Amino acid sequence: MIGGGGFDTTRMIAQQILNGLVVGAVYALFGLGFTLVYGVQKILNLAHGGIFMWGALIGFFVVTRLGLPLWSALILGMAGAGLLSMLLELVAFRHLRRRKGDDLSTLVSSLGANLILVNMAQQVTNSQIESFPFGIFPIRIWRVAGLMISLQTIVILACVALLVAMLLLYLFRTHFGAEVRAVAVSERTSLLLGIAPQAVFLQTFFIAGAMAGAAGVILGVAFNSVSYDMGEPMMLRAFVIIVLGGFGSVIGAVVAGLLLGVVQALSVALFSSALSDAIMFGVLILLLLAMPTGLFRGFDTEARRA
Amino acid sequence: MDWLIAYQPDLDAICIGSLYALSQFIALRAGLFSLGSAGFGSIGAYAAAILGMRYGVPLPLALFFAVIIAVITGLLLSVPLARLRGHFQAVATVAFVEIVVSLALYFDGLTGGPSGINGIPKLIGTVDLLVAVAAVMAFCAVAERTSVGRAFGAIRQDDLVARSLGISVSRYHRLAFALSAGIAGLGGGLAAFNTYTIEPEQFGFGLLTLALGAVILGGRSSVIGPIVGTTIFVLLPELARPLSENRFLLQGALLIAVITFLPRGIVDSLRHRRAIVRERRHGAAAVAATRSP
Repeated sequence: MIGGGGFDTTRMIAQQILNGLVVGAVYALFGLGFTLVYGVQKILNLAHGGIFMWGALIGFFVVTRLGLPLWSALILGMAGAGLLSMLLELVAFRHLRRRKGDDLSTLVSSLGANLILVNMAQQVTNSQIESFPFGIFPIRIWRVAGLMISLQTIVILACVALLVAMLLLYLFRTHFGAEVRAVAVSERTSLLLGIAPQAVFLQTFFIAGAMAGAAGVILGVAFNSVSYDMGEPMMLRAFVIIVLGGFGSVIGAVVAGLLLGVVQALSVALFSSALSDAIMFGVLILLLLAMPTGLFRGFDTEARRA
Repeated sequence: MDWLIAYQPDLDAICIGSLYALSQFIALRAGLFSLGSAGFGSIGAYAAAILGMRYGVPLPLALFFAVIIAVITGLLLSVPLARLRGHFQAVATVAFVEIVVSLALYFDGLTGGPSGINGIPKLIGTVDLLVAVAAVMAFCAVAERTSVGRAFGAIRQDDLVARSLGISVSRYHRLAFALSAGIAGLGGGLAAFNTYTIEPEQFGFGLLTLALGAVILGGRSSVIGPIVGTTIFVLLPELARPLSENRFLLQGALLIAVITFLPRGIVDSLRHRRAIVRERRHGAAAVAATRSP
């Protein structure tokens, strides 16, 4: 984003941490949906990157074709990605669940769905990298204690904080959220309690998709680039987030996303980006071996403790 | 004969793709949830190309070392990864694939970085590829009939039961990793000397999807399955222009349709159906034999 502009190392590092937090916030939004779907349905949804990319594309088209302001791009991008994600659940996962398909079958189905999403995006963009019109976001930069803080940074962090807070309130303070957590622990028991798991699944897919869509629009604006292949690197980072944060843990995804963003910003400053990727995935394998439960626990382990 | 020449590139692609698919196949046979074939293919391709191009190692020897290096990587990787199960193992092997891509990008002195290695002489023709696929198929089919194949089957169906029968699950998982790596390494090495050029990104998430997809599409229980799956993946987009423009869409839709409606894959579903017909004449045993997951 903004180049680290400071005269001493401490400031450079502080600036990198700030930049990393912005990217990390987007990772957190993306990882939230991925881990939520895993927590509730035990599905590794590899089409989540495709949904994210479509969120960004919808936002882009809302601004360029419909000429609407940026905030509406965020909302429509979220809504569109959320609906797409629900469609994904209906087409790719519902039958498999009814048949009690194994881990492999849902993984394959989501890979297939991802291929379709990427192909459709290639068609509508002619495989080009699109960018938002110049000056879509007012450029305003403040210097605070030697750090360069832009309006964009503040807005992104505020948006992400708001969305995460809303999701946490929804999951942990409302009746619907309680239903989601109940289904995550046991689909069968929740049926006995009069909860409709199918509705909960659709809901979680909508929320996951909407979060991914928001992440897509925000990243598309922040890096000013939207393309059909932007989902794959995010998908790979989501693996790191889900393992580090703990499979199925929402809070874990937020913490892990922020941490990953910061560590990545620092390591790219130190090493090249290819080497920092190699290190990141190496650490991922080590984490799986040494700390497979991650930093936090998912809904079901939480219930088992109670 | 003209027909054969026109379709030769497709045939080559089918052969190479089949080797990656067979590598994925043997991993799944042993109950490994490994998606690492693309990474091993990359290692084989780079090993063969670097040895052959830079050090003037003769082709058969370069291919031999490509396989050996891939197998050694597989064995090293299997020591930690055989301890993982299910989704954890899948995620770890995807991470491995990405590590290989990143390292191939980073060590550009050795690998040529993002532009890869170009101008590799085309020393491997269609006939060589066909022989290689036939040999690997025969190897897999024979392995299936030995005690190794039976142990793989037991582990795949229930690794707790396999353990209680005195089968060392981690030892067979290490073996499966090594076999899967060797087959993919061979595929990569042959590909390097067939397609003139190799680059890091070619062995990433896309190849991983195709190798896994081909096995699911064709079928997971006989060695014909991965070949049929790869053939459909390669040829179907070639049938008509609108199809080839929407290659991924077609492949994706096929994958979802097959895993939803023919979860055993095309070949195994056909065999199962034929067995049901036979059952009406001979009894239930024939059906039970094809029902292994």
